[in-house]
Amino acid sequence: MSNNTVAMKEVLRTPIFANNPVAMQMLGVCSALAVSGSMQTAVVMSLAVTFVMVFSNLIISCIRNLIPNSVRIIAQMTVIASLVIVVDLVLKDVAYEISRQLSVFVGLIITNCIIMGRAEAFAMKSKPWPAVVDAIGNSLGYAVILCGVAFVRELLGNGSLFGQEILVTVANGGWYLPNELFQLPPSAFFLIGFMIWAINVIQKRQG
Amino acid sequence: MRYNKDSVVGTMLFTLVLCLFCSVMITGTSAGLKERAQAKQLAELKRSVLKTAGYGQLIDNNLSENFDSHVTAVVLDLDSGAIQPDLDAMTFDDRMAAMNPDTSRKPKKDTARIGRRADMARAFKITNDQGELEGVVMPIHGKGLWSVIYGYVALDADLNTIKNVTIYEHGETPGIADFLEDESWLSQWQGKKLFDDSGKVAVKVVRGGAEDGDEHAVDGVSGATLTGRGVERSMQFWFGEEGFRAFLSSIKASEV
Repeated sequence: MSNNTVAMKEVLRTPIFANNPVAMQMLGVCSALAVSGSMQTAVVMSLAVTFVMVFSNLIISCIRNLIPNSVRIIAQMTVIASLVIVVDLVLKDVAYEISRQLSVFVGLIITNCIIMGRAEAFAMKSKPWPAVVDAIGNSLGYAVILCGVAFVRELLGNGSLFGQEILVTVANGGWYLPNELFQLPPSAFFLIGFMIWAINVIQKRQG
Repeated sequence: MRYNKDSVVGTMLFTLVLCLFCSVMITGTSAGLKERAQAKQLAELKRSVLKTAGYGQLIDNNLSENFDSHVTAVVLDLDSGAIQPDLDAMTFDDRMAAMNPDTSRKPKKDTARIGRRADMARAFKITNDQGELEGVVMPIHGKGLWSVIYGYVALDADLNTIKNVTIYEHGETPGIADFLEDESWLSQWQGKKLFDDSGKVAVKVVRGGAEDGDEHAVDGVSGATLTGRGVERSMQFWFGEEGFRAFLSSIKASEV
Protein backbone atom coordinates (compact mmCIF):
# COMPACT_ATOMS: atom_id res chain seq x y z
CA MET A 1 0.00 0.00 0.00
CA SER A 2 2.68 2.51 1.01
CA ASN A 3 4.64 1.47 -2.02
CA ASN A 4 1.58 2.29 -4.10
CA THR A 5 1.23 5.79 -2.64
CA VAL A 6 4.88 6.52 -3.35
CA ALA A 7 4.34 5.46 -6.96
CA MET A 8 1.27 7.69 -7.19
CA LYS A 9 3.20 10.66 -5.85
CA GLU A 10 5.86 9.99 -8.44
CA VAL A 11 3.22 9.90 -11.21
CA LEU A 12 1.88 13.23 -9.99
CA ARG A 13 5.22 14.94 -9.41
CA THR A 14 7.44 14.02 -12.35
CA PRO A 15 5.41 15.75 -15.06
CA ILE A 16 5.44 19.04 -13.16
CA PHE A 17 9.18 19.62 -13.45
CA ALA A 18 11.38 16.64 -14.21
CA ASN A 19 9.38 15.46 -17.19
CA ASN A 20 7.36 18.58 -17.93
CA PRO A 21 5.29 18.04 -21.09
CA VAL A 22 5.97 21.49 -22.52
CA ALA A 23 9.54 22.06 -21.37
CA MET A 24 10.96 18.53 -21.60
CA GLN A 25 8.83 16.80 -24.21
CA MET A 26 8.18 19.93 -26.29
CA LEU A 27 4.46 19.17 -26.58
CA GLY A 28 1.67 21.72 -26.64
CA VAL A 29 4.05 24.59 -27.35
CA CYS A 30 1.71 26.12 -29.94
CA SER A 31 -0.99 27.06 -27.45
CA ALA A 32 1.62 27.98 -24.84
CA LEU A 33 2.89 30.67 -27.22
CA ALA A 34 -0.51 31.89 -28.26
CA VAL A 35 -2.54 32.27 -25.09
CA SER A 36 0.20 33.25 -22.63
CA GLY A 37 -0.23 36.98 -23.27
CA SER A 38 -2.18 37.57 -20.09
CA MET A 39 -2.68 35.75 -16.81
CA GLN A 40 -6.44 35.56 -17.23
CA THR A 41 -6.39 33.68 -20.53
CA ALA A 42 -3.55 31.47 -19.31
CA VAL A 43 -5.45 30.41 -16.20
CA VAL A 44 -8.67 29.76 -18.09
CA MET A 45 -6.79 27.82 -20.75
CA SER A 46 -5.03 25.75 -18.08
CA LEU A 47 -8.36 24.95 -16.47
CA ALA A 48 -9.86 23.94 -19.81
CA VAL A 49 -6.90 21.69 -20.59
CA THR A 50 -7.04 20.18 -17.10
CA PHE A 51 -10.72 19.37 -17.46
CA VAL A 52 -10.28 17.79 -20.87
CA MET A 53 -7.19 15.82 -19.88
CA VAL A 54 -8.60 14.46 -16.62
CA PHE A 55 -11.82 13.29 -18.19
CA SER A 56 -10.27 11.96 -21.38
CA ASN A 57 -7.76 9.94 -19.35
CA LEU A 58 -10.53 8.72 -17.06
CA ILE A 59 -12.90 7.67 -19.86
CA ILE A 60 -10.20 6.10 -21.99
CA SER A 61 -8.73 4.23 -19.06
CA CYS A 62 -12.17 2.90 -18.15
CA ILE A 63 -12.81 1.55 -21.64
CA ARG A 64 -9.20 0.65 -22.43
CA ASN A 65 -9.89 -3.09 -22.54
CA LEU A 66 -12.80 -2.61 -24.93
CA ILE A 67 -11.09 -0.39 -27.50
CA PRO A 68 -10.33 -2.35 -30.69
CA ASN A 69 -6.71 -1.89 -31.67
CA SER A 70 -7.48 -0.77 -35.22
CA VAL A 71 -9.56 2.26 -34.19
CA ARG A 72 -7.56 3.10 -31.06
CA ILE A 73 -6.44 6.58 -32.06
CA ILE A 74 -9.77 7.56 -33.54
CA ALA A 75 -11.57 6.43 -30.41
CA GLN A 76 -9.25 8.62 -28.31
CA MET A 77 -9.78 11.56 -30.65
CA THR A 78 -13.56 11.16 -30.45
CA VAL A 79 -13.53 11.28 -26.67
CA ILE A 80 -11.15 14.26 -26.58
CA ALA A 81 -13.04 16.16 -29.27
CA SER A 82 -16.37 15.68 -27.50
CA LEU A 83 -14.90 16.92 -24.23
CA VAL A 84 -13.46 19.97 -25.97
CA ILE A 85 -16.84 20.81 -27.47
CA VAL A 86 -18.35 20.57 -23.99
CA VAL A 87 -15.69 22.92 -22.61
CA ASP A 88 -16.23 25.32 -25.49
CA LEU A 89 -20.00 25.40 -24.90
CA VAL A 90 -19.61 25.97 -21.18
CA LEU A 91 -16.96 28.63 -21.67
CA LYS A 92 -19.12 30.51 -24.16
CA ASP A 93 -21.89 30.46 -21.61
CA VAL A 94 -20.05 31.53 -18.46
CA ALA A 95 -17.25 33.70 -19.82
CA TYR A 96 -18.08 34.87 -23.30
CA GLU A 97 -15.40 37.59 -23.42
CA ILE A 98 -12.59 35.25 -22.43
CA SER A 99 -13.79 32.61 -24.85
CA ARG A 100 -13.57 35.24 -27.58
CA GLN A 101 -9.98 36.02 -26.59
CA LEU A 102 -9.06 32.35 -26.59
CA SER A 103 -10.85 32.05 -29.94
CA VAL A 104 -9.62 29.03 -31.87
CA PHE A 105 -7.29 27.81 -29.16
CA VAL A 106 -10.07 26.20 -27.16
CA GLY A 107 -10.98 24.18 -30.23
CA LEU A 108 -7.33 23.43 -30.81
CA ILE A 109 -7.10 21.65 -27.45
CA ILE A 110 -8.25 18.67 -29.54
CA THR A 111 -4.90 18.65 -31.31
CA ASN A 112 -2.90 19.39 -28.17
CA CYS A 113 -0.32 16.62 -28.22
CA ILE A 114 -0.10 16.47 -24.43
CA ILE A 115 -3.65 15.17 -24.11
CA MET A 116 -3.38 12.77 -27.02
CA GLY A 117 0.03 11.65 -25.77
CA ARG A 118 -1.17 10.96 -22.24
CA ALA A 119 -4.21 9.07 -23.53
CA GLU A 120 -2.09 6.86 -25.78
CA ALA A 121 0.95 6.45 -23.55
CA PHE A 122 -0.60 6.22 -20.11
CA ALA A 123 -4.38 5.86 -19.98
CA MET A 124 -4.40 2.96 -22.45
CA LYS A 125 -2.24 0.92 -20.08
CA SER A 126 -3.35 2.04 -16.63
CA LYS A 127 -6.23 1.74 -14.24
CA PRO A 128 -8.57 4.76 -13.98
CA TRP A 129 -7.18 6.20 -10.71
CA PRO A 130 -3.52 6.38 -11.78
CA ALA A 131 -4.67 7.74 -15.16
CA VAL A 132 -6.47 10.60 -13.44
CA VAL A 133 -3.45 11.34 -11.24
CA ASP A 134 -1.24 11.33 -14.32
CA ALA A 135 -3.63 13.73 -16.06
CA ILE A 136 -3.58 16.10 -13.08
CA GLY A 137 0.22 15.99 -12.96
CA ASN A 138 0.57 16.73 -16.66
CA SER A 139 -1.97 19.52 -16.68
CA LEU A 140 -0.20 21.06 -13.68
CA GLY A 141 3.01 20.85 -15.68
CA TYR A 142 1.30 22.60 -18.58
CA ALA A 143 -0.24 25.17 -16.25
CA VAL A 144 3.10 25.93 -14.55
CA ILE A 145 4.71 26.79 -17.88
CA LEU A 146 1.70 28.64 -19.25
CA CYS A 147 1.11 30.74 -16.14
CA GLY A 148 4.84 31.28 -15.63
CA VAL A 149 5.22 32.64 -19.14
CA ALA A 150 2.01 34.65 -18.86
CA PHE A 151 3.17 36.15 -15.54
CA VAL A 152 6.34 37.54 -17.10
CA ARG A 153 4.68 38.52 -20.35
CA GLU A 154 1.80 40.41 -18.81
CA LEU A 155 3.96 42.06 -16.17
CA LEU A 156 6.68 43.23 -18.55
CA GLY A 157 4.46 43.67 -21.59
CA ASN A 158 1.58 45.58 -20.00
CA GLY A 159 2.73 46.29 -16.47
CA SER A 160 -0.28 44.46 -15.09
CA LEU A 161 -1.38 41.12 -13.64
CA PHE A 162 -4.91 39.77 -14.18
CA GLY A 163 -5.66 43.16 -15.73
CA GLN A 164 -4.72 44.97 -12.49
CA GLU A 165 -2.02 47.57 -12.95
CA ILE A 166 1.13 46.67 -10.98
CA LEU A 167 3.77 48.76 -12.66
CA VAL A 168 2.27 52.13 -13.57
CA THR A 169 2.92 52.64 -17.27
CA VAL A 170 4.11 55.84 -18.91
CA ALA A 171 0.84 56.05 -20.84
CA ASN A 172 -1.01 56.30 -17.50
CA GLY A 173 1.43 58.85 -16.10
CA GLY A 174 3.73 56.36 -14.35
CA TRP A 175 7.35 55.42 -14.87
CA TYR A 176 7.22 52.02 -16.56
CA LEU A 177 7.69 51.84 -20.32
CA PRO A 178 6.14 48.51 -21.42
CA ASN A 179 8.41 46.23 -23.40
CA GLU A 180 6.27 45.50 -26.42
CA LEU A 181 8.23 42.41 -27.36
CA PHE A 182 6.54 40.67 -24.45
CA GLN A 183 3.10 41.36 -25.89
CA LEU A 184 3.98 39.29 -28.94
CA PRO A 185 4.04 35.47 -29.10
CA PRO A 186 7.78 35.13 -29.99
CA SER A 187 8.74 36.32 -26.51
CA ALA A 188 7.17 33.14 -25.14
CA PHE A 189 9.79 31.20 -27.09
CA PHE A 190 12.61 32.90 -25.20
CA LEU A 191 10.83 32.51 -21.88
CA ILE A 192 10.16 28.82 -22.40
CA GLY A 193 13.81 28.46 -23.42
CA PHE A 194 14.96 30.06 -20.17
CA MET A 195 12.60 27.81 -18.22
CA ILE A 196 14.03 24.70 -19.88
CA TRP A 197 17.52 25.92 -19.02
CA ALA A 198 16.56 26.51 -15.40
CA ILE A 199 14.88 23.11 -15.05
CA ASN A 200 17.88 21.37 -16.58
CA VAL A 201 20.35 23.14 -14.30
CA ILE A 202 18.30 22.31 -11.19
CA GLN A 203 17.99 18.68 -12.23
CA LYS A 204 21.76 18.36 -12.83
CA ARG A 205 22.43 19.79 -9.36
CA GLN A 206 20.11 17.24 -7.82
CA GLY A 207 21.91 14.53 -9.78
CA MET B 1 -20.13 -16.86 -28.99
CA ARG B 2 -17.39 -14.99 -27.20
CA TYR B 3 -17.16 -11.24 -27.79
CA ASN B 4 -14.01 -10.38 -29.73
CA LYS B 5 -13.22 -6.70 -29.63
CA ASP B 6 -10.85 -6.81 -32.59
CA SER B 7 -13.29 -8.49 -34.97
CA VAL B 8 -15.11 -6.38 -37.58
CA VAL B 9 -18.40 -6.65 -35.72
CA GLY B 10 -16.71 -5.81 -32.42
CA THR B 11 -15.05 -2.74 -33.90
CA MET B 12 -18.31 -1.57 -35.45
CA LEU B 13 -20.20 -2.11 -32.22
CA PHE B 14 -17.59 -0.28 -30.17
CA THR B 15 -17.50 2.67 -32.56
CA LEU B 16 -21.27 2.93 -32.55
CA VAL B 17 -21.54 2.87 -28.76
CA LEU B 18 -18.69 5.35 -28.33
CA CYS B 19 -20.23 7.77 -30.83
CA LEU B 20 -23.59 7.50 -29.10
CA PHE B 21 -21.99 8.13 -25.73
CA CYS B 22 -20.11 11.20 -27.02
CA SER B 23 -23.13 12.66 -28.77
CA VAL B 24 -25.23 12.26 -25.63
CA MET B 25 -22.51 14.09 -23.70
CA ILE B 26 -22.51 17.01 -26.13
CA THR B 27 -26.27 17.29 -26.62
CA GLY B 28 -26.74 17.01 -22.87
CA THR B 29 -24.47 19.99 -22.26
CA SER B 30 -25.98 21.97 -25.07
CA ALA B 31 -29.52 21.26 -23.92
CA GLY B 32 -28.61 22.17 -20.35
CA LEU B 33 -27.29 25.53 -21.47
CA LYS B 34 -30.03 26.19 -24.00
CA GLU B 35 -32.35 28.22 -21.82
CA ARG B 36 -29.56 30.50 -20.66
CA ALA B 37 -28.32 30.87 -24.22
CA GLN B 38 -31.78 31.87 -25.39
CA ALA B 39 -32.17 34.41 -22.61
CA LYS B 40 -28.79 35.84 -23.55
CA GLN B 41 -29.73 36.01 -27.20
CA LEU B 42 -32.91 37.87 -26.36
CA ALA B 43 -31.02 40.33 -24.17
CA GLU B 44 -28.47 40.79 -26.95
CA LEU B 45 -31.29 41.51 -29.42
CA LYS B 46 -32.75 44.11 -27.08
CA ARG B 47 -29.36 45.70 -26.57
CA SER B 48 -28.67 45.90 -30.31
CA VAL B 49 -32.04 47.45 -31.08
CA LEU B 50 -31.79 50.03 -28.30
CA LYS B 51 -28.27 50.91 -29.35
CA THR B 52 -29.28 51.30 -32.98
CA ALA B 53 -32.27 53.41 -32.02
CA GLY B 54 -29.99 55.83 -30.19
CA TYR B 55 -31.01 54.74 -26.70
CA GLY B 56 -27.62 53.25 -25.87
CA GLN B 57 -27.68 54.98 -22.48
CA LEU B 58 -30.69 52.85 -21.50
CA ILE B 59 -28.72 49.60 -21.67
CA ASP B 60 -28.48 48.83 -17.97
CA ASN B 61 -30.01 46.50 -15.41
CA ASN B 62 -33.55 47.45 -16.41
CA LEU B 63 -32.90 46.45 -19.99
CA SER B 64 -36.23 44.70 -20.49
CA GLU B 65 -38.36 47.50 -19.05
CA ASN B 66 -36.51 50.17 -20.97
CA PHE B 67 -36.88 48.14 -24.11
CA ASP B 68 -40.62 47.72 -23.60
CA SER B 69 -41.16 51.39 -22.90
CA HIS B 70 -39.54 52.55 -26.14
CA VAL B 71 -39.78 49.69 -28.56
CA THR B 72 -42.71 47.82 -30.05
CA ALA B 73 -41.61 44.72 -31.88
CA VAL B 74 -43.85 43.53 -34.69
CA VAL B 75 -43.85 40.73 -37.21
CA LEU B 76 -45.01 41.80 -40.63
CA ASP B 77 -45.81 40.25 -43.96
CA LEU B 78 -43.20 41.57 -46.37
CA ASP B 79 -45.33 41.43 -49.52
CA SER B 80 -48.39 43.21 -48.14
CA GLY B 81 -46.71 45.17 -45.39
CA ALA B 82 -49.43 44.12 -42.96
CA ILE B 83 -48.53 43.56 -39.33
CA GLN B 84 -49.31 40.07 -38.04
CA PRO B 85 -50.64 40.69 -34.52
CA ASP B 86 -51.05 37.01 -33.63
CA LEU B 87 -47.32 36.30 -33.90
CA ASP B 88 -45.02 37.04 -30.98
CA ALA B 89 -42.26 39.19 -32.41
CA MET B 90 -39.70 38.47 -29.73
CA THR B 91 -39.77 34.71 -30.20
CA PHE B 92 -40.19 34.83 -33.98
CA ASP B 93 -37.28 32.93 -35.47
CA ASP B 94 -36.42 34.84 -38.62
CA ARG B 95 -33.53 32.60 -39.66
CA MET B 96 -35.60 29.46 -39.34
CA ALA B 97 -38.41 31.10 -41.31
CA ALA B 98 -36.01 31.90 -44.13
CA MET B 99 -34.82 28.28 -44.28
CA ASN B 100 -38.26 26.65 -44.24
CA PRO B 101 -39.59 26.34 -47.82
CA ASP B 102 -43.17 26.78 -46.57
CA THR B 103 -42.50 30.19 -45.08
CA SER B 104 -40.01 31.58 -47.56
CA ARG B 105 -39.41 31.98 -51.28
CA LYS B 106 -36.59 32.78 -53.68
CA PRO B 107 -36.43 36.54 -54.24
CA LYS B 108 -37.05 37.65 -57.81
CA LYS B 109 -34.04 39.92 -57.77
CA ASP B 110 -31.68 38.62 -55.14
CA THR B 111 -29.36 41.61 -54.92
CA ALA B 112 -28.37 40.77 -51.34
CA ARG B 113 -27.58 37.17 -52.35
CA ILE B 114 -29.53 35.69 -49.45
CA GLY B 115 -30.87 32.71 -51.40
CA ARG B 116 -34.24 32.55 -49.71
CA ARG B 117 -36.27 35.34 -48.18
CA ALA B 118 -38.76 34.68 -45.41
CA ASP B 119 -42.35 35.81 -46.00
CA MET B 120 -42.42 37.45 -42.61
CA ALA B 121 -39.89 39.72 -40.99
CA ARG B 122 -39.42 41.39 -37.67
CA ALA B 123 -39.36 45.17 -37.30
CA PHE B 124 -39.24 47.53 -34.36
CA LYS B 125 -41.21 50.74 -33.90
CA ILE B 126 -39.47 53.25 -31.68
CA THR B 127 -41.49 55.67 -29.58
CA ASN B 128 -40.13 58.57 -27.55
CA ASP B 129 -40.92 59.41 -23.92
CA GLN B 130 -44.22 61.01 -24.96
CA GLY B 131 -45.28 57.88 -26.81
CA GLU B 132 -44.97 59.42 -30.30
CA LEU B 133 -43.50 57.44 -33.17
CA GLU B 134 -39.88 58.44 -33.41
CA GLY B 135 -38.65 56.03 -36.02
CA VAL B 136 -38.21 52.39 -36.87
CA VAL B 137 -35.43 49.84 -36.59
CA MET B 138 -35.21 47.29 -39.37
CA PRO B 139 -33.07 44.17 -39.48
CA ILE B 140 -31.10 43.66 -42.67
CA HIS B 141 -28.80 40.94 -43.86
CA GLY B 142 -26.93 40.04 -47.00
CA LYS B 143 -23.88 38.26 -48.25
CA GLY B 144 -20.53 40.03 -48.09
CA LEU B 145 -17.36 38.39 -49.30
CA TRP B 146 -17.31 35.28 -47.12
CA SER B 147 -20.30 35.39 -44.91
CA VAL B 148 -23.73 36.78 -44.30
CA ILE B 149 -23.59 40.19 -42.63
CA TYR B 150 -26.38 40.93 -40.15
CA GLY B 151 -27.27 44.40 -38.99
CA TYR B 152 -29.93 46.87 -37.95
CA VAL B 153 -30.85 50.14 -39.59
CA ALA B 154 -32.68 52.81 -37.61
CA LEU B 155 -34.72 55.35 -39.58
CA ASP B 156 -36.10 58.68 -38.39
CA ALA B 157 -39.83 59.32 -38.36
CA ASP B 158 -39.70 60.53 -41.98
CA LEU B 159 -38.71 56.93 -42.85
CA ASN B 160 -36.03 58.23 -45.17
CA THR B 161 -33.25 59.66 -43.02
CA ILE B 162 -30.92 57.04 -41.54
CA LYS B 163 -30.49 57.55 -37.85
CA ASN B 164 -27.95 54.84 -37.22
CA VAL B 165 -26.60 51.56 -38.52
CA THR B 166 -25.15 48.71 -36.48
CA ILE B 167 -23.69 45.42 -37.63
CA TYR B 168 -24.01 42.70 -35.02
CA GLU B 169 -22.79 39.59 -36.76
CA HIS B 170 -20.49 38.84 -39.64
CA GLY B 171 -17.69 36.50 -40.61
CA GLU B 172 -15.74 38.74 -42.96
CA THR B 173 -11.94 38.81 -43.08
CA PRO B 174 -10.70 39.52 -39.54
CA GLY B 175 -8.73 42.75 -39.33
CA ILE B 176 -9.70 44.07 -42.75
CA ALA B 177 -13.43 44.00 -42.17
CA ASP B 178 -13.24 45.25 -38.57
CA PHE B 179 -14.62 48.56 -39.81
CA LEU B 180 -18.07 46.94 -39.81
CA GLU B 181 -18.09 47.25 -36.03
CA ASP B 182 -16.18 50.51 -35.90
CA GLU B 183 -18.17 53.48 -34.65
CA SER B 184 -16.34 55.95 -36.86
CA TRP B 185 -17.30 54.07 -40.01
CA LEU B 186 -20.85 53.31 -38.91
CA SER B 187 -21.48 56.90 -37.86
CA GLN B 188 -21.02 58.00 -41.47
CA TRP B 189 -24.44 56.57 -42.16
CA GLN B 190 -26.09 58.96 -39.73
CA GLY B 191 -28.19 61.53 -41.56
CA LYS B 192 -27.86 59.91 -44.97
CA LYS B 193 -31.03 59.70 -47.06
CA LEU B 194 -32.18 56.22 -47.96
CA PHE B 195 -34.22 57.10 -51.07
CA ASP B 196 -33.61 59.53 -53.91
CA ASP B 197 -36.28 61.88 -55.32
CA SER B 198 -37.79 59.19 -57.54
CA GLY B 199 -38.24 56.90 -54.53
CA LYS B 200 -35.48 54.46 -55.42
CA VAL B 201 -33.05 53.17 -52.80
CA ALA B 202 -29.99 55.30 -53.43
CA VAL B 203 -27.60 54.51 -50.55
CA LYS B 204 -24.20 53.29 -51.63
CA VAL B 205 -20.74 52.50 -50.33
CA VAL B 206 -18.30 54.28 -52.61
CA ARG B 207 -14.93 52.81 -53.42
CA GLY B 208 -12.27 55.49 -53.05
CA GLY B 209 -14.46 57.62 -50.80
CA ALA B 210 -17.80 59.37 -51.08
CA GLU B 211 -17.95 62.89 -52.46
CA ASP B 212 -18.49 65.67 -49.96
CA GLY B 213 -22.12 66.54 -49.52
CA ASP B 214 -23.45 63.41 -51.18
CA GLU B 215 -26.45 62.61 -49.05
CA HIS B 216 -26.66 58.97 -50.11
CA ALA B 217 -23.07 57.75 -50.03
CA VAL B 218 -20.53 56.66 -47.44
CA ASP B 219 -16.83 55.83 -47.83
CA GLY B 220 -15.81 52.35 -48.81
CA VAL B 221 -12.78 50.79 -47.18
CA SER B 222 -9.87 49.78 -49.38
CA GLY B 223 -9.19 46.07 -49.31
CA ALA B 224 -12.79 45.39 -48.36
CA THR B 225 -14.63 46.39 -51.51
CA LEU B 226 -16.83 43.31 -51.55
CA THR B 227 -17.68 43.58 -47.86
CA GLY B 228 -18.76 47.19 -48.46
CA ARG B 229 -20.75 46.13 -51.48
CA GLY B 230 -22.44 43.47 -49.36
CA VAL B 231 -23.65 46.12 -46.92
CA GLU B 232 -24.77 48.38 -49.77
CA ARG B 233 -26.70 45.64 -51.54
CA SER B 234 -28.32 44.45 -48.30
CA MET B 235 -29.65 47.96 -47.80
CA GLN B 236 -30.86 48.11 -51.37
CA PHE B 237 -32.58 44.77 -51.10
CA TRP B 238 -34.21 45.23 -47.73
CA PHE B 239 -35.56 48.70 -48.42
CA GLY B 240 -36.58 47.79 -51.97
CA GLU B 241 -39.66 46.17 -53.44
CA GLU B 242 -39.03 42.75 -51.94
CA GLY B 243 -37.98 44.13 -48.60
CA PHE B 244 -39.70 46.59 -46.28
CA ARG B 245 -41.08 48.92 -48.98
CA ALA B 246 -44.70 47.84 -48.47
CA PHE B 247 -44.42 48.07 -44.68
CA LEU B 248 -42.80 51.51 -44.78
CA SER B 249 -45.51 52.88 -47.06
CA SER B 250 -48.18 51.45 -44.78
CA ILE B 251 -46.78 53.23 -41.71
CA LYS B 252 -46.40 56.40 -43.72
CA ALA B 253 -50.04 56.18 -44.79
CA SER B 254 -51.26 55.58 -41.25
CA GLU B 255 -49.20 58.47 -39.91
CA VAL B 256 -50.44 61.12 -42.33
